[in-house]
Amino acid sequence: MTASVAVLGALVLWGTLVGLDLVSVPQMMIARPLVAGAGAGLLLGDLGAGLAVGVVLELFQYAILPVGAVRYPEYGPATVAAVAVAQASGGMAAAGGGGDHGGVLALGLAVLVGLITGMAGGLSLHQLRRLNARVVHAADAALEAGDPTVLVRLHAAAIGRDAIRAALVTAFGLGLAWVARFAIGTLTARDLALLDSVAISAAFAAAATGLLRVVGTGTNLRWLAAGLVLGMLTAWLV
Amino acid sequence: MKPPLGASLLRLFAVQGSWNYERMLGLGVGVAEEPLLRDLRSGNRDGGSAYRAAVARAAHFFNAHPYLCGLVVGAAARAEHDGAPPEQVERLRRALCGPLGSIGDRLVWAGWLPLTSALTVAAVALGAGGRAVAGFLLVYNAGHVALRWWALRAGWRHGARVAVALHHPVIVRAQSLVGPLAAIAAGFCLPLAADWLAGPLPSWATTVAALLGAAGFIALLAAPRLTAQRLGLVLTAGALVIGVAWP
Repeated sequence: MTASVAVLGALVLWGTLVGLDLVSVPQMMIARPLVAGAGAGLLLGDLGAGLAVGVVLELFQYAILPVGAVRYPEYGPATVAAVAVAQASGGMAAAGGGGDHGGVLALGLAVLVGLITGMAGGLSLHQLRRLNARVVHAADAALEAGDPTVLVRLHAAAIGRDAIRAALVTAFGLGLAWVARFAIGTLTARDLALLDSVAISAAFAAAATGLLRVVGTGTNLRWLAAGLVLGMLTAWLV
Repeated sequence: MKPPLGASLLRLFAVQGSWNYERMLGLGVGVAEEPLLRDLRSGNRDGGSAYRAAVARAAHFFNAHPYLCGLVVGAAARAEHDGAPPEQVERLRRALCGPLGSIGDRLVWAGWLPLTSALTVAAVALGAGGRAVAGFLLVYNAGHVALRWWALRAGWRHGARVAVALHHPVIVRAQSLVGPLAAIAAGFCLPLAADWLAGPLPSWATTVAALLGAAGFIALLAAPRLTAQRLGLVLTAGALVIGVAWP
């Protein structure tokens, strides 16, 4: 990762906003890997890397249905870190290092960093929710008295805690990306291609099972099949 | 009286800000409902105790789809203004949890979101680049904001009889349409994304991806405890180890 301090700061800020968007505010879907990846790519001057990583992690995201109190990985800040890996590998290739297959290099390694960071993000969300419960429980008397100042203060403080959590997760992911940079230099084009193919295969397995769960086994399954045929035809024609 | 629906709507965007395992969305709903309850204070009924009691009730346990929380915020606030007994307001909140969660999940998480996201993935794969992502944000959020605003207004308009709003023809029609559309879009995007992502790979790596993808799909279906994330971690970490160890 050869990003300047200003770019690193911007990435942490973007990761924080993306992390906040997932649950706290405003849920406008900048937390989706596609959007988080495109934003990180723009900040790093490599939109292509951002989109490629974003699409792969978006496919992983399809396996998640965020209903009720279900626990799930957090792919927003994770995508920001993953894009940093992909962008760094591109820069190394331009400088004559790393592998040499076209498109985005080290996509698989970027996805590995993204998955680990996503796991850390998911764990941190669970801990935050437990902490919020303890804080709310401690303020039960004031809340039952209908004190609006306490209510708003508790709510705002929880959002602040989520912002700190998201910033820390992003920083952790960027740290992993920095470590991954050393691995890129030791891997050959064959190794990188193997990693890419494995990451892509896992992403499609995740997307297929996730979408199948969303679609169900009723009439919509036929619509899914129709869409598949249409997509294959379009891919063949274009 | 003109209710401050704008202030309430703004707060609704952060309705999950204090999500926790005890009251879930309760605090966020209370914060969003509070501006609509201020009239109870200025009316000085019971020296402001009606306002405080209503704020306390508003912050009790609540869980539903976040985009539809406006329905309970508006309806409960209206019921408080109409002088509904506290037990009725509590019953109303409890009764709305299930339907709002179920409708929101079907309409948004399993409908509008996969539909717009899959179309964006397809557009990126077809070369639309960053414009596709900008389009996704615009289109998705047009639906998102419209749903939040409709929910809040409908809740305030119908009050305790808010269940009527859930049978609004647009909501009913949207639920029946969005599922099939999302299914078509999901199916459409997968081959295009596969072609785009695997395009730069050498042919042997494409074969590896196809075989592992099929095996991974079967494994995820057959082993419910195996999550997509764990599968991805095991496969990519394994490939990294093989890459480093294999001369």
